[in-house]
Amino acid sequence: MLGLVPILLAAATLVWVFVFLLPGDPARLIAGGQGVDPRILESIRHEWGLDRPVPLQYLGYLDKLARFDLGTSYVQRRPVATVIAGSFPPTLILAVSAVLLAAGAGLVLGSLAALYRGRLIDSLVLILALVGTSTPVFWLGLILMLLFGSRLGWLPVLGYGMEGALVPFTTIRLPEWDHLVLPAVTLSLVSMGAIARITRASLIEAGTADFLQTARAKGASRARVFVRHTLQNALIPVVTLIGMDFAGLLGGAVATEYVFAWPGLGKTIVRAIGLRDLPVVEGGVLFLTAVFVLVGLVVDLVYLYLDPRIHYENARRACG
Amino acid sequence: MLDVGTLHPSRSGRARGLLLLALLAAAVACGRSAPPAAPSEQVFRFRLHEDPPTLDPALDNDQFSEAVILNVHRGLVELDAKTLEIRPAVAESWTISPDGLLYTFHLRQGVVFHNGRAVAAPDVVYSFERLLRKETNSPRRFLLEPIDGAKEFSAGTSPAIAGLQSPDDRTIVIRLSKPFAPFLSELTMANAAVLPREIYDDPGKAYLRAPVGCGPFQFSRWEQANFLELRAFDRFYGGRPALDRVVIRMIENRTSALQEYIAGGLDSLDEPPDDNDAAMMAKVGSEVYRYPFMGTGYIGFNLALPPFKDNAALRKAFNYAVDKKYMWDVLFPGSNIAANGIIPPGIPGHDPDLPGYPHDEAKARSLLAQAGYPAGKGLPPIALWVNTSEDNRRIAEQVQHDLKTIGVDITIREVDWGAYIAAVSGTGEKPGQAPMFRFGWYLDYPDADAILRPLLHSSNWGPAGNFGRYKNPEVDRLIDQALVVVDPKERAGLYRRAERIAVMDDPPWIILSYYQAKTLYKPYVKGVVLSPLGEFRLPLERLKIERGAS
Repeated sequence: MLGLVPILLAAATLVWVFVFLLPGDPARLIAGGQGVDPRILESIRHEWGLDRPVPLQYLGYLDKLARFDLGTSYVQRRPVATVIAGSFPPTLILAVSAVLLAAGAGLVLGSLAALYRGRLIDSLVLILALVGTSTPVFWLGLILMLLFGSRLGWLPVLGYGMEGALVPFTTIRLPEWDHLVLPAVTLSLVSMGAIARITRASLIEAGTADFLQTARAKGASRARVFVRHTLQNALIPVVTLIGMDFAGLLGGAVATEYVFAWPGLGKTIVRAIGLRDLPVVEGGVLFLTAVFVLVGLVVDLVYLYLDPRIHYENARRACG
Repeated sequence: MLDVGTLHPSRSGRARGLLLLALLAAAVACGRSAPPAAPSEQVFRFRLHEDPPTLDPALDNDQFSEAVILNVHRGLVELDAKTLEIRPAVAESWTISPDGLLYTFHLRQGVVFHNGRAVAAPDVVYSFERLLRKETNSPRRFLLEPIDGAKEFSAGTSPAIAGLQSPDDRTIVIRLSKPFAPFLSELTMANAAVLPREIYDDPGKAYLRAPVGCGPFQFSRWEQANFLELRAFDRFYGGRPALDRVVIRMIENRTSALQEYIAGGLDSLDEPPDDNDAAMMAKVGSEVYRYPFMGTGYIGFNLALPPFKDNAALRKAFNYAVDKKYMWDVLFPGSNIAANGIIPPGIPGHDPDLPGYPHDEAKARSLLAQAGYPAGKGLPPIALWVNTSEDNRRIAEQVQHDLKTIGVDITIREVDWGAYIAAVSGTGEKPGQAPMFRFGWYLDYPDADAILRPLLHSSNWGPAGNFGRYKNPEVDRLIDQALVVVDPKERAGLYRRAERIAVMDDPPWIILSYYQAKTLYKPYVKGVVLSPLGEFRLPLERLKIERGAS
């Protein structure tokens, strides 16, 4: 876990530099509107410490980070941690749903394609995977919205809903579930294609391994050979892909959030960039970096379960 | 438009992927439990592009914030959204001394804040002091600066505002340091709302997310980037509104918002489809309302830098070269109106006889030669800055095309709002880097001062509003004079003269348009006021939902 620190420090510095290089004057956007008296702008800069020398601003930022303080949003005037706490759950719910859909459908389709290799199903799956992977999310989202929301009226067009249940002991509200379907399906289709293809390829590769002969020779049923031996061995690259996709979806759901007016973190960060709400941009990106690293860690742990040959303990000793 | 009809899932087994999706969607649709809306409940739902930047009246400086604040709060006086007359609000009456210096307000009985406490004169003093206090950093502190002693109070050199008194619980007396004709209009703005001290003195600033006022609607819930909900205030002094609830939904993407409106998730939408979009207009065209919106669109010149500095002929040439009629009749039909001046129609001082600059290529060429650049020779390409939007891009492209016909090269710089506003306004000392920029201004209240002074008076150079750094001593003098004149006719005459000089002799901009608002309302929404103040100033307390009556 200590390995996190240098990564986060590098990320914090990078994002701070990028944010600092953004053109424009945050005070101007804090004041809002079009015309603002320069004296008020001066006073706003002072209020938020934007008139301090640049190195001091950077050190102040690091100093706060060291004390787990992400700062205060210029626009919302509340702690960045609170802003993230409000907008991360919708993103997490969306990304988890999308990954479950993508993984479920991708594994089934990929397995079907591998089992019926060279037949019609295989071709159909490959075509679908290709279409899914190469369709822009923005366009796909609008098409699904037009079809299932506007034309057929089966699902809400957009939004998170206002009356979802509250998670006990928190202020986190769950979406109304029917509102989740279109954005989750949209977001999942891209990953689904890739997962189906990797599953197919890994299964075909694993299916030729010698130990399957052994298993069959020992009298294992066809289904048992597939699930216990072929599938489990084929899963490692698939899990890697799912893990990376999931981490990517957490930060990369912006287009979907935009199309479906989903109140998520990606959209919040993009809007904060537009408003030059620098603490929210810095805190949001840093938070996503940490999540990305943690997801990587979880994926590594899943390998342990899938492949008994992997031992991190030994690896560390060997390296250190 | 894409024809989604071809994507219908079929039972025949074709388009299997979509069938899968359809099944999934159908499975969920079957279990869908839409909350049964009480049929008698009156709910009005409209869209904002994004969260209002603030709900604090002192910090408000934009129309999204006002859309909420003006329904939660009230000030001493208010602007009638329809007639634009100044009406009693928390004050039931007032008198102004003949010299225009002394304002006496008598507060209405029975005005209560949403927390149940009665509004009294000290609340007005508290709220005005709060707006003026330096620490508040209000971008609109200037509204109350005409009050005697206000500037000293802001600077911290005086503990109280000399010209602001509450002799008793029901009376407020304000003394100005010199006559200021639009003062009462300025008090109608959201910033001058009357606030309860016990809420707004909270060091934890809970009021930022749960405002308390004395307006027709009380704050209910706000979920960032999702929705903001208001509820009718039973004890509103003007009577309980007919609407039980107002839901403001944050939907950034225009296409999505339009689909939501069509599907019935919104009762009103500020961005109807383009008139050129025949398919969409066939669906919702009958629900589009158009009405004048007091504002003016233009392309500003940076007058601190060459080539526009001290070259009125060049600016006139550009004005004649751009075909405003084509822009608003063909490019954006049914939206804004080609303008010939600065003061929009409906505002005292508007001059329908001002010639302006009708499209005239020959005049443009000859003025260009007179400016020292015959057929554009010697004039380097000029950057026209716009903030990112499809409409802005199309406007810029037409300007580029029209100026090309007289030999002038324009390059378009499209950047986001933050970068744009910095490049355009510069700082107090340094002019902005943008030589030309597309801009617009809507008036906060119906007074020519609300557009001429911020945009053209030399005291507002730079970020304060006069981005192009326009300075014409005669225009300055007329604007100043009109401020202290009490007679409305005489004032209008002064503004007309100032406008004529600015437009015809020394144009600060390429004048493009008088604004027109375009809003969608469902037929069951009754009591809609098509306000010249714009769709976000719709008085919600006058609305009613009558389903089945349409």
